[in-house]
Formats: sequence, C-alpha cells, structure tokens
Amino acid sequence: MKLYISELGTAARDIVADDMILTTDMPTCAGSKMLDGYKSLFEAEAVTRLRDAKYSVYGKANTGELGLDLLGETSYYGACADEEGKLTNAVAEIVKAEEARAGLTLEVNGSSARAAALSSLTYIKPTYGTVSRYGTIPAVCSGETVSVTAKGASICREILSALAGHDDKDGTSLPQEKCALLKADAPRDSVKKIAVAKALLASVDDETAVMIGAYVEKARKNGIEVAEIDAEELRLARPAWNILMSAEVCNNVSRYDGVKFGYRSMDSTNIDDLYTNSRTEAFGYLLKSVILFGSDVLSTERYMDVYDKALRIRRVVSDYMNSVLEGADAILLPACSRRSYTEEEVKKNPYIAYDESLYTAPVLITGLPAVVTEGVQIVGKALADNSLLDLAELLERGGER
Amino acid sequence: MHMDAMKLKKLEKLNQLRLEENEREDILAFFKKAEEDMGIFDSVSTEDVKRMVHVMPMINVIREDVSSQPFTRDQLQAGAPEASDGYWQVPRLVE
Amino acid sequence: MKYETVIGLEVHVELATESKIFCACSAKFGAEQNDHVCPACCGMPGMLPILNKRVVDLGMTAGMMLNCDINRETTFDKKSYYYPDLPCSYQTTQWFAPICVNGAVEIETSKGKKQIRIKQIHMEEDAGKLVHDDWTDTSLVDFNRTSVPLIEIVSQPDISSAEEAIAYLERIRTLLRFARVSDCRWEQGSMRCDVNLSIRPQGSQELGVRTEMKNMNSLSAIARAIDYEISRHIDAVENRAEELVQETRRWDDVKGKSYAMRNKETAGDYRYFPDPNIMPVIIDDEWYDRIKKSLPELPEVKKQRYIEELGLSEYDADQIVQSRAFCDVFEKAYEESRMAKETANWLMSDCMTILNKRQQTTDMLAINGKALGELVKLVAEDKVSRASGKKILAAMFDEDISPLKYAEENGLIMSNDTEGIEKIVREVIEADPKSVSDYKSGKEKALMALFGKCMKQLKGNCSPQVLKEILVDHINRQ
Repeated sequence: MKLYISELGTAARDIVADDMILTTDMPTCAGSKMLDGYKSLFEAEAVTRLRDAKYSVYGKANTGELGLDLLGETSYYGACADEEGKLTNAVAEIVKAEEARAGLTLEVNGSSARAAALSSLTYIKPTYGTVSRYGTIPAVCSGETVSVTAKGASICREILSALAGHDDKDGTSLPQEKCALLKADAPRDSVKKIAVAKALLASVDDETAVMIGAYVEKARKNGIEVAEIDAEELRLARPAWNILMSAEVCNNVSRYDGVKFGYRSMDSTNIDDLYTNSRTEAFGYLLKSVILFGSDVLSTERYMDVYDKALRIRRVVSDYMNSVLEGADAILLPACSRRSYTEEEVKKNPYIAYDESLYTAPVLITGLPAVVTEGVQIVGKALADNSLLDLAELLERGGER
Repeated sequence: MHMDAMKLKKLEKLNQLRLEENEREDILAFFKKAEEDMGIFDSVSTEDVKRMVHVMPMINVIREDVSSQPFTRDQLQAGAPEASDGYWQVPRLVE
Repeated sequence: MKYETVIGLEVHVELATESKIFCACSAKFGAEQNDHVCPACCGMPGMLPILNKRVVDLGMTAGMMLNCDINRETTFDKKSYYYPDLPCSYQTTQWFAPICVNGAVEIETSKGKKQIRIKQIHMEEDAGKLVHDDWTDTSLVDFNRTSVPLIEIVSQPDISSAEEAIAYLERIRTLLRFARVSDCRWEQGSMRCDVNLSIRPQGSQELGVRTEMKNMNSLSAIARAIDYEISRHIDAVENRAEELVQETRRWDDVKGKSYAMRNKETAGDYRYFPDPNIMPVIIDDEWYDRIKKSLPELPEVKKQRYIEELGLSEYDADQIVQSRAFCDVFEKAYEESRMAKETANWLMSDCMTILNKRQQTTDMLAINGKALGELVKLVAEDKVSRASGKKILAAMFDEDISPLKYAEENGLIMSNDTEGIEKIVREVIEADPKSVSDYKSGKEKALMALFGKCMKQLKGNCSPQVLKEILVDHINRQ
C-alpha cells in the first residue's frame, strides 16, 4: 500500500496534494506509467496560493490514473487497500491519520467525494470556477474542480478561503467579486431547508440508507426543514456525464504520445508504432476504455445524436437542480451506494466507478458546490459553498451553534 | 448495438491504442451498458434546449497581445525521451 | 470532350501578432529551433488557453476586407489527430461558429472580371515544423510555429483555372497586407494555400472526384500544381490512366508531380467538439465599429485619388499603392511638402535604394512621414543639396530626426553667401589657369574640373546651379 508518491521531508506537514496537481519540487504522475517521474516546470495556482498563505504543501499522494476511477485503485503505483482487501484512498488515509491537516485533490469523477464519505471525512468540491485549475492535469476541463478533504468542515472552510480567487491564467475562472464569496468571513445565508433526492436513495445499501436517515433526523432536530423530491431528472446526469467526461479525457490525453515527454516505448521504428506502443504500454485498462468510448461519441456519425444531446441534457439537469434550489437551500444525495468496496471486485469489474458516478455526476456536470459530511452529500446553489460548510459544521458538532 | 469489434478496432487505430482480445470483449460490454443507459435521454425533448458547454456563463475572456518567454529550450527538453540539437526527435516520417 | 475545372482554395495566413494565439510565447518568425516555446505549446499538461485579443481584431479585419459577414458570437473547437508537429494531438480551431462567413472578392484575369465567393474565415493555431535528418534517419520537431495564430480563408468552388487562382491569391494578399493582417510571405510560410480540385464535362452540373493538394510554396508552384493536376484528372477520366480517388496529395515542385500523402491526417475522423476552456467571444457594436473604423482605404481607391487629386502619374501612383507603408509615409510627407511628384520621387528612388541596401521590403519602411515632407521641402527650396538630402534621409532610417536640425548640426545647409562663393571661385581660378584657358578654348570638361574643386572647398553646401553661374561669370570676365 503506497500512500505517497513523494514527500519533501519538511517538518511542517499541512497539506498533501494528489497526483493530478502539478508541483515543481515533487513529481506529478497522474497515477499513470505515462507520466512516471514527470516534473512540471510550473506549479499549480492552488499550491502557490496555499504556500503564499504559509501552508506547507509537503507531499504528493497516490491517485487513480487521471482521477477516473472509484477510489484510486487504477494507479500505476498500485491500489491502496487494508488487510481485509477493502479499498482505501491515499489522500483520505493520510488525512484520517492526521499526517496532513487537509488533502488537495482534483476531483475528476467522484473518487475524492467517495473517499471522504467512506472515511467519514469532510470534503468540499467548490463551485466550478472559484478555484483556479491552472497547473492541474487536464482530464475533464468542463467539470473537474480542485477540492479539499479534511477532518471537519471548519478546516475545509479555512483551506478553501485561502484557495478561492480569480486567476487570469484560467479562462474559466470567475470574477473576483464572485470568488470572494467563498472567503471564510464572506456574508452568506444559512441552510434552512433541505430537499432529499428520493430517486437516488433507492439504490443504496441498508447501511448507507440508515446513515442518511440518521443525518436527516439530526437535521430535523436542529430545526432544518427536510422535504423529499422525486428527482428522477438526476438520473440523466450519469450517462450524460459519462459522454462528456469520456470525450474530454480522450482529447486531453491525446497529448501523451511518447514524443515530447513522459513514457516512450523504445523499440519503435516508425512514428505510428511509437505512438501506439507508448500509449498501449503506458495507459491502464480503464483509461483506455474511456478514451475509446469518448472517441466514439465525438465521431461524425455519433456527434449530434450523442455528444450534442449530452450537452443539452447537461442544461436540463442544471435547470432542474437550480429550480429545486429555488425552493430549498440544499439537496441531499448519497455520495456512494455502500460503505466499502474490495480490491477483488474492482479487478473483476473496473466499471464500478461508472456505476457509482450516479451520485457524483449531478454536481460534476453542473459545477454546483457539493459537501460530503458524515457520509452524505449536500449540494447547494452556485457560490453557496459557505452555507453548505456552515450546515456541515453545525451538524458535525452535534447541533450546537 | 451500435458498436462492434470491427468498429472498435478502427477506434483503437484512431486513438493509437491496441487492445488484447479479452479487453475488447469487456469494453464492448461496457459500451453496451453505457448505451442502454443513454436510452433515458429519449424521454427528454432537447430540441429547444441550448447546449451547455460551460457551466458558468462568461464571455470574452481575452488577453492583450504581449509576449514573454519564461522557460528555456533546455528546460522544456529536460524530460524529452529523445532530443537532438534543440529538437525533439522521432523516427523519420514519410510524407 | 471538353472539361471544365472546379477549384476551391483554402488559404492559411499567419496573423501579424506579437504573441501566439493561446499562450504568451513570441510569434516572431526566424528564431532558433524551439526558442519560442513554453509548456503550453509543447503539449505539457496544466496550462490553460487564454485567447489573444489581437487575433480577434485581425480576424475581423480580414473578414471586413474580404466583404464577409462577421459572426457576432464566435467560438473555438478542438480538432483531434496525431502528428508529431501537433504537440497536444489536437488543434484549437473554429468549426461550429467561425468568425466570418459569406464573403467575396473580385478578380480580374485575361477573361475579364469575376467574383470569387468566400465561404468562411476561421481563426486557429498553426502547427510546428518537421525537419528530416537523413544522417540519423529521424525527424526533428520544432514547435516555434505551434500556436502562432492563423486565419484560414475557405473559398467557394468558384475558381476555374490556374490564372484565376493566382489572381484570387494575389488579391487576397494585397488586401490583407494592406490592412496589416499579415505580411503574407510565401517564402516564410506566413501565406499558404491548399488546392481542392475536380474536373467535369463542360456544362455538367455533377462534380467529379475531388483531390486536395498541399505543399506549394509559391504562386508559380501553385500554378504548376494546378495545371499538372488538371491534366492528371483528364488523363484519368479519358484514358483510364488511373482511378481517381478522393485524397490528399503532396506537390513536389522539383519533380513537377503530385503524390498521394501516406501519412498526414488522412481518412481520420477529426472529432470536433467545443473547447470547454475557451469562453465564447461576443463582438458588440463598439468592438465591431472600432475595427470597421480602422480599415484602410482600398489600394485602388488610393491610387485613383493620388492621380486625380494629387496629380501623380498612373505609374507613380501604382508603385506607391503596392505597399501600405509607402502609402502611409507618402500621405504624411505630402501633407507637409504639398509636392506630390517630388515626394513620390524621394520615396520610389531614394527610400527604395536604402531599403534595398538594407535588404528590407517596402512594408518595412518605418521612417517619419512628416520628416520626409520637411526634407522634400528643404531640397526643393535649395536649402540643402540633393546629395546632402540623401545623407539626411539615411539618418532618418536610423532614428526619428528633424531634417532641418540635422542639416544645421552637420553643416549641410547650403550657403546663400555669394561673396563667400565668389572668394573661393577666384582662388580656384587663380590656382589653375590651365583649366581656365582649356575651357576658353572649347574644352567643356575643364569647366567640370574647376566646378568640382570649388564644390569640394564649399563642402558641397552650395546649389550647383548658383555655383555654375558664378564660376562661368568669373571665367568670362577674365
């Protein structure tokens, strides 16, 4: 079980970053043989901001290849699992063991959210565009977001406050006045009403259902109104996200071809062999499937029926969630369907990540902020990140304001 | 199903990948599942729905035309699998 | 059977910007290999594209010069294919909403005038360059040109001969150079052209098999390639010499033949999709009007004005309007001098000589037009000699100087002091009685010798006319 890809060996150990976030003093490999030992010439804006705020970013944690998988199991450096063969996640393990105050990850396909839920940690995927993606390894640019995992909502808020801000180097970065709403001392409303998405509760296991039930009960006891919504529309998110995600990944990883940097298969005598051998030898199975699926949905034959349709479905899901959030302050969803997964079963079925993206796709496809706390996921309006963290903190403390 | 082994082989070539036969079967099964899931789209009319490429609407994110050169060629080629005389190097191409 | 040719051209023009389209690397031509490269334009992960505003300005300018409609909402898309000169294995271009559509230019050939319609103009990034190394049997990759901004001008298939193709290309080149969209230099690759060509029996409405030809590096190569391809197509159709297939071919100008390309971008599916990292560009009225106002007067309009209003000869006017820089300098200089013919002469002979000596093109003329006007006046009014004027002009190429001040500081103001001139003339005549008598006995050359001696003593600062008069007068008085 390899938790770290590299460490600086400094005394201060505040922040561990995942393997998708570029650093100049430690390699960044995206969990892939393709980028084994890759040293970036520049550092992620998120890392710079934390270092400027005097946090020590001291290590890089193991991550699944391009962040696409269930919990990090597709890493070239091996899956993380406990003695019983249950999958764990490097960032979550490090934060849980209090080796780092917080984990900084690029949330691509829900693995960070699931890891936080399974490890009973608090996590925030902030509103898309509030934390710069400059210096993160691109996978799904239209949805992926730099996220924070920590023991408790108050640490999440503190770290997010240092991270949020407009960045000219990221063309999707929101204006400063919007980003400023994520600062710890910014004014915000409190969550008074939660809508529980019934459609997505149906498929979780008993243990998860009990946990969600307990959370709802605790919320009610603290004077928060809880309503149920059907939310069948949220089922549209997974297939649509899978289309958009696969297409963008296919395109973004086409740069890894053995020519400029990274892995090159050495016994190639012509350029096509060099490309094909390098990519075939260096990419893992899940990534290969995503590339092929993504290439297909963008083909001339399929584009209008599949990709273009998914872009429109994205708006349907977004409009739906925003309409729910007109009548409620947050939507409650599961973060994943069960409390554990084994290394054995993902080996047999590498597509469990796809199955589980049922719960994470709605926020990844819309860019809305999501907090995972006490094993559940709560989603808010764009820029209502602090309201979600306030709610999480309140209930984490057992309701004492 | 739309996808089959022949089409998959073409996709592999287009994406510079080469699958093992057993991998191909598994991927076809995944394509099938993902396609079935897309069936849910049929119930949603999207003709009048605008495509959502960007989740946060912004326009005209542009910069002034000013140049700078922060890195040297040697820095950029430090991790090159093969480089010669300031060039990246690949097997000879036939045009 | 008689055949007609159907040609559509795809013209790529590199835009005259300081930096690249999505990163801040220099876009200047001629650097050492891979000196204008950063992590973004050599394909490394993590940098995000930020659009260069000037690219949009120049894209709009090109569209307006070529009578296009401007799409007020324009977006960027990604096009995927593998080739070593394309570092990200995708090119950012415009597929769904290009910046300009529906244009047209008028051309004139031996068959008269004709409109060539333009389907669209889109903005995109250039690819890098490959150098093939025979010694090591490798190809070497240079990313300096990667991400240099381009526009691609796509014509409708309205062109029917090599002559029309050349006229169309020359017209586009003139207009874009005039509007300073690009320097359009074939030899540096800042203007390139792919030819889509098919033939069909005359009068037929059906299109024949179309081939695309690349790699023509000059207008004459394009003409040769078109003529070759027409005869290859006819030969294939009439004599069944080969079967025509829709394909991309590479022109070999040395061998005078085209070959099917074996590798590049053939048959693939480009899988275009909107770039999630680049926000839409919305061109509001203010932006549109600013570009509209910046457009130059068309060269033929200028030429007519120079002839009719300023009284230049057709030849002179035509020479000046070949270059926007010449027009700009000429107009500012004329405003000062109010002497069109003299100003034109200084430009076309003296400025040209200096440019040639410096191996610069007419577009590189960067002298102060007002100062040139002052110089024209100084010489015309006999305040400095023509020879001194040339010295001053040379200095004006090096820095922005005032001709009058420069003449004063360097003792180039001609003497109006006839007493001073007479004194020198007397001394010269006294010192050389032989030349005086030679002249008097009819040897004209002797006068030139005396004249030269006087001029030398006067350090050239004297009107030759005045000196000659005084000299002849003194000799005759002896």
